Amino acid sequence: MNKRWLLRWFGLAALLFTGSRWLPVPEPYVPVYPANFGNRLNIPADNPLTKEGVLLGRMLFYEPLLSANNKVSCGSCHQQQRAFTDGKKFSTGIDSIPTERNSMSLANLLWVRHFFWDGRAESLEQQALTPLTALHEMGQPLDISAAKLRRSQRYAALFNAAFGNSNITGDQIIKALAQFERTLISANAPYDHYLAGKYQLSPAAERGMQLFMNAPDPGKKIRGANCAHCHGSPKLYMELFHNNGLDSLPLDPGREKLTGLAADRGRFRIPTLRNIALTAPYMHDGRFGTLEEVLDHYSEHIIQSPSLSPVLRNTSNDMNGTSLKLSRSEQKDIIAFLHLLTDSTFINNSQFSNPFN
Amino acid sequence: MKYTLLLFLATILLHSRTWAQSATISVTGEVTHPLQLSAADIAAMKKVTVQATDRDGKAHSYTGVPVADILQQAGVTMGAQLRGENMSKYLLVKSGDGYEVLFSLPELDAAFTDRVVILASQVDGQSLPEGKGPFRIVVPGEKKPARWIWEVTAMTVRFAKE
Ligand code: HEC
Ligand code: HEC
Repeated sequence: MNKRWLLRWFGLAALLFTGSRWLPVPEPYVPVYPANFGNRLNIPADNPLTKEGVLLGRMLFYEPLLSANNKVSCGSCHQQQRAFTDGKKFSTGIDSIPTERNSMSLANLLWVRHFFWDGRAESLEQQALTPLTALHEMGQPLDISAAKLRRSQRYAALFNAAFGNSNITGDQIIKALAQFERTLISANAPYDHYLAGKYQLSPAAERGMQLFMNAPDPGKKIRGANCAHCHGSPKLYMELFHNNGLDSLPLDPGREKLTGLAADRGRFRIPTLRNIALTAPYMHDGRFGTLEEVLDHYSEHIIQSPSLSPVLRNTSNDMNGTSLKLSRSEQKDIIAFLHLLTDSTFINNSQFSNPFN
Repeated sequence: MKYTLLLFLATILLHSRTWAQSATISVTGEVTHPLQLSAADIAAMKKVTVQATDRDGKAHSYTGVPVADILQQAGVTMGAQLRGENMSKYLLVKSGDGYEVLFSLPELDAAFTDRVVILASQVDGQSLPEGKGPFRIVVPGEKKPARWIWEVTAMTVRFAKE
């Protein structure tokens, strides 16, 4: 009896304490990234990054209460050790029905302006709504998620600290998740060190990088793979939509589903190649199990179609070739370069890990 | 059974509607007359032909509408109005694949330059090839065709923010 009262007083005192300390202004969280990433950040004016928001977002990212069966969290399909993918062709959520597309790696989302494989969401806030409520992913309406969190002991103070009230709403859940995701910055791979002049490439990686960066020109005897045209820049993606020659009649129409334009058939957002060695299987449908298969695709099997990217048309190391026609050893060199995009500090960063473990 | 058939028909109808969609070019931002140009609108505009060298290193003749004419039609501050604060405006051209390139207004204005940047619809008398059409910007004399943005879908005029 006495103990209960004591606890209540203690709780109230704690709330007042955190209230007076945190409530007026949560502390701004200043993201740290290299200057060569540029400053075109996608942060909505009504959801600035705060330390308290990011911390809450991290908890929510790993919180299975946000799913209908209390077993699935964002972290189920986005695992840190795999650069926030899940190693599956298609993912499964609260039931056995697989997702329609391959889980995407989550890194450097702070700069992304069109989310998902087809770019259909314009902000991380808008994006989060899908997995939270989709029938076969987490399958729970936002108000139920909010109510479940209200019943949990853990969250009142955390929401209070992040948003200045402990109402716990769906909107706050989404905002906190988005804040956490914006802090998932990967900028410490050997390639980043190389760009900073602090890393010596092996001869194979050096050859691979040259191929990656240059377009082939058989007339001038220049060998190349032209990957950088689409996957270039220090962030290793460009926010463009291309059909990279996987199919002539794609099962998944990609961006066409959104725009209704035939030019968009089989077009998907160019994904980042950061941590690519950790995120197999590859492509929107996880059709390739290894990087060797990916290189084989670009080298030998570009499928012609009306919406094939012009960048991949007539781009070959053979005169009149329709695929890149890279030699085995050139493919190996490119893969050696791709391994330098793995950022081991990112996948081991304790600020991104599951706080419940 | 009946419903399935209805559903099936509805799906087909919906799809054929989607198929009917075709590319247009929007012209918006710091304009007095926002435009939504269809292929027919563009076909009706005055054309010029310019010589320019593409990535293949060969000279081609490109036919299309001067970008300046499109901006005039939208009421952008060109010609005599291109002075003072209007000198800090830019045109951003966007492609269906998400690519974007920028021009300052004087680069496009005949009062400043003899170079005519066009929205091309033809190369050497033919429609533009698959993937690069129906409309592509051509910038004669530019050494690297990176601003020859293809599949143009939008033109936006804005003030530079700083
Ligand atoms: C059942 C597996 C699953 C769960 C659970 C899940 N995701 Fe995903 N996630 C995916 C798949 C699959 C995609 C790609 C879907 C598409 O493009 O249509 C994706 C894409 C994303 C993207 C887009 C990344 C980009 O670069 O565009 C973000 C961000 C993301 N998820 C965040 C989350 C968050 C936050 C949660 C928890 C609220 C979550 N995911 C829960 C499977 C999952
Ligand atoms: C024309 C632009 C373009 C070029 C050039 C290009 N890619 Fe891609 N790449 C894409 C697109 C678009 C996708 C996603 C396609 C999909 O899933 O349907 C992709 C996917 C990938 C993936 C799978 C990523 C993932 O997360 O699943 C890898 C790996 C990859 N590309 C490597 C390369 C390499 C290596 C080269 C050079 C040999 C290259 N790409 C050249 C556009 C391009």
